[in-house]
Amino acid sequence: MFWWKSLFRKGALDEQFDSELRFHVERLTNEYIAAGMAPDQARRQAALEFGGREQIKEELRDVHRVNIIETAIANFKSAFRFIRKSPSFSIAVILTLALGIGANSAVFSAIDAILLRPLPFPDGDQLMQLGQYNPKVESPQTRVAPIRLEDWNRMNSTFQSITGSYTEDGSETSGILPEKLKQAFVAPRFLEVLRVSPSLGRDFTADEGHFGGPQAILISDRFWRRRFGADSSAIGKKLRIVGMSFSIVGIMPPSFLFPDRDTDLWIPVPADAPFAQNREYTWYSVIGRLKPGVTVQQAQANLTTVQAQLGKVFPKPDANLAVAIQPLKEITVGGVRRSLWILFGSVSLLLLIACTNIVALLLARAAQRQHEISVRFSLGAPRAAIVTQLLTEAFVLAFIGAALGLFIAAGASSVFRSLAGNLPRVEEIRLDGRIVLYSLACSVVATLLCGLFPAIRGTRRNISVSLAQANRTQVSGHHPMQWMLVAVQVALAVTLLTGAGLLLRSFRALGQVSPGFEASHVLTFHISASYGETVDWKRLTQRIDRTIEELRNLPGVEAAAASATLPGVPAKYQTNLQFTEGEQDPEHAIVAESRFVSPGYFATMKIPVLAGELCREPEFIDTPPDSTGMHPTKFSSLYVLVNRSFADSYPASASVIGHHLRVLDNSFLRATDVGEVRGIVGDAREEGMNRPPAPTVYWCSGAPGGPDPFYLVRTHAKPMTTAETLRQKIHEIEPARSVFDISPLEEHIDEAFAENRLRTVLLAFFAITAVSLACVGLYGTLSYSVNVRRREVGLRLALGALRGQIIKKFLLQGLGVTFLGCLLGAGLAVAFAPLLSEMLYGVSPSDVTTLLAVVLTVLLVAVVASLVPAIRAASVEPMQVLREE
Amino acid sequence: MPIEKSDLLQGTLDMLILKIVELGPVHGYGISQRIRQISKEVLHVQQGSLYPALHRLEKRGWLAAEWGESENGRQAKFYKLSAKGRKQLASEELNWHRLAGAVGHILQTAG
Repeated sequence: MFWWKSLFRKGALDEQFDSELRFHVERLTNEYIAAGMAPDQARRQAALEFGGREQIKEELRDVHRVNIIETAIANFKSAFRFIRKSPSFSIAVILTLALGIGANSAVFSAIDAILLRPLPFPDGDQLMQLGQYNPKVESPQTRVAPIRLEDWNRMNSTFQSITGSYTEDGSETSGILPEKLKQAFVAPRFLEVLRVSPSLGRDFTADEGHFGGPQAILISDRFWRRRFGADSSAIGKKLRIVGMSFSIVGIMPPSFLFPDRDTDLWIPVPADAPFAQNREYTWYSVIGRLKPGVTVQQAQANLTTVQAQLGKVFPKPDANLAVAIQPLKEITVGGVRRSLWILFGSVSLLLLIACTNIVALLLARAAQRQHEISVRFSLGAPRAAIVTQLLTEAFVLAFIGAALGLFIAAGASSVFRSLAGNLPRVEEIRLDGRIVLYSLACSVVATLLCGLFPAIRGTRRNISVSLAQANRTQVSGHHPMQWMLVAVQVALAVTLLTGAGLLLRSFRALGQVSPGFEASHVLTFHISASYGETVDWKRLTQRIDRTIEELRNLPGVEAAAASATLPGVPAKYQTNLQFTEGEQDPEHAIVAESRFVSPGYFATMKIPVLAGELCREPEFIDTPPDSTGMHPTKFSSLYVLVNRSFADSYPASASVIGHHLRVLDNSFLRATDVGEVRGIVGDAREEGMNRPPAPTVYWCSGAPGGPDPFYLVRTHAKPMTTAETLRQKIHEIEPARSVFDISPLEEHIDEAFAENRLRTVLLAFFAITAVSLACVGLYGTLSYSVNVRRREVGLRLALGALRGQIIKKFLLQGLGVTFLGCLLGAGLAVAFAPLLSEMLYGVSPSDVTTLLAVVLTVLLVAVVASLVPAIRAASVEPMQVLREE
Repeated sequence: MPIEKSDLLQGTLDMLILKIVELGPVHGYGISQRIRQISKEVLHVQQGSLYPALHRLEKRGWLAAEWGESENGRQAKFYKLSAKGRKQLASEELNWHRLAGAVGHILQTAG
């Protein structure tokens, strides 16, 4: 009978008691009738002989009840008594578990928020990101033209609806000073796809989605609080952006951080606007919501068909395009998955070490409690009851540990958030019911891991009997199990320390790399701009040229430039190129990184020009505006510089200078654009400090990448000291624009490796904790062994052993186990290292130096941990020990 | 003269029950009848002791119980000996014989 049955099916049990007892009374009655009594009298007689039926039933209930709640209560009482009786032991166990469970829960809270939970939108798993790419050449995915987005939305059968957005930093000028705001320009159906409503006000109306309709805008909760003090009268107020006036129609909820975390404004772009009809545009990052039950593969097949149909109607450019679909969540968090799981794996190893440590402690404890246990056995307690009692003790310890661990997790979690500021979804990390449940589950697992083995082992009847009979004259206790546990702890610690060592070494290697440019003393910033300026590239280029000229003339400024990307911050932009000279081989394109920079870039970044001359900006030819107000871009010539790697890989032995490069597929440049190579510059680690320089083509442009490039300024003094001068100058020459994101280049490069640094710091921390725990385990086990063998040591000393020999004996025992653990750990480390290989730089996953250094460190620490108990063993006074008999 | 519950040595009732049940599945009424018959009316087990004892033994796993049809066609709870119970019975019998032998020896020789 399981106890819970008796708890929940009390009624059924009572019925059973009743019918069992009734049967007995009936048989007695029959007996008396058979003996010649009248039925009535027989019944009375039987009832009389049987006695109080209710009383018996109550006793039966007792039999079944006692073992359930009372045993549990008794077990908990004795567990608390046990904890009170041995406070230092209990505190050690509780703190170890609190650390282990706390760290584990903290990392789990990050995994839960970032990887496990769906995106913070209703049915977030239905959201997909869609992109277009040219499958014929190797090229990155590009954004999508608004008109094609509308085609996809209309022609597909697998999505509920499709929308898109792009963000731009703009200047809002209705206040006293222009304020930089991040604007999201959104395609129709934006909130419908995300299934989010404004917390105040309303979504855009159909009218506001048409060209020439009212100009409406949604604002973020943050901006609403900052600008309007969270006043609901903000609805209907006007904002001025790029010279146009918009009415605020709604406030978005504070949790709505899409498409960018810091989006302030959402502005609808009418799909029917004349300026949105070009199929070559690459505007939107597209998202769609799948119909329920539709798989990614079905959607992919469906959109491939749709795009093929479009290719027939619009051979240029649609015939060359394919559609890529990926879950939005994957796009958002896919990059950090491996890092997080590795952290979780290492923090779980840490918990395992903590548990192993506690197993050793409990085993030692169980040996001391043999007497108590055998007394209980002899009093007739079944083994299961004693095991339950021991497990209850472990559970109470683990539960208190987990409760404390939650506080540690809360602290650790906020440390994690501050360390991991730029991780996706990091703002969603919080400690909630799920984390509490997880900690509780951890404590149950820890109970079973820590408690079960010592409980079962400690209650083996033959051992307990023999040990109960054994008296103090027993010599030498061999505890192979405890030594094995120490070896396991050392092995796990060595594995973690090796991982941390590899990450640390590659982090240092990264810092020592010579990037080919000088990152110090460079200040970077943006100046708000609008894509609307691209209607006239000539004017745009002149505007940026003038700004750079003014910056260069500022006191304390050495050089200034503009660039579409920052050097050393990972960003890839591969293009397929062809020389117009020589034989044409359409199958064999030259693959190179393309960078878009202003001519001053090389002086500012101190990238040397090795041959030829510096490039010039393209020379524009004036064109009249077309029907949509666009000035078609025309220039007489484009100039490029190539880096040494590119020049070296150029097949022709002659110099590349003077040759012309044509782009085969690219969104910034057109196939008709041909760049003349003007010179060769030194190799620089443009796309990340951890990547060797790739063959690179620098396209010189006055407005690199568009109207909103990064501005780079080389200063004489510390870069930030120039920031205020810069800001004033820009305000003077461009009063309608705002300067934002002012920070030193080195900070950007550091930030690019924040995830790298996070996992390195955390893994190092876990590894150090692991080694400390393993040492505590070694120290504890050796101390215990010394205690048990005091008499033996005393005897030896009395028989003439030298104290040095005793020290050596215990020291070697500790070191032997540690060495075994190191061997095991080295094996584990080599087996697990490939997991790290993608995160390493300049060091191989099976690096022998690291492994040797780790083993030596651990052995050294083990010597210290073993020396104390060994010396204590040697200081035993033989006479005193022998007199203790 | 029937010996009442209080006169039975503690633990003896358990042994007697196990012994009776060893013969084959039997219900509570049957056990009380057999103890009376076999002891030639010397031992009368009170139902107030018998049933709690049966349930305790079942709970310890020495007895297994199941519901079945009795001789007169009524549903009754039948107890039978489990393997664990058989071992327990053997050791209790052994203890009993040693105790009885020792007590008998003292009574014979010390007089």
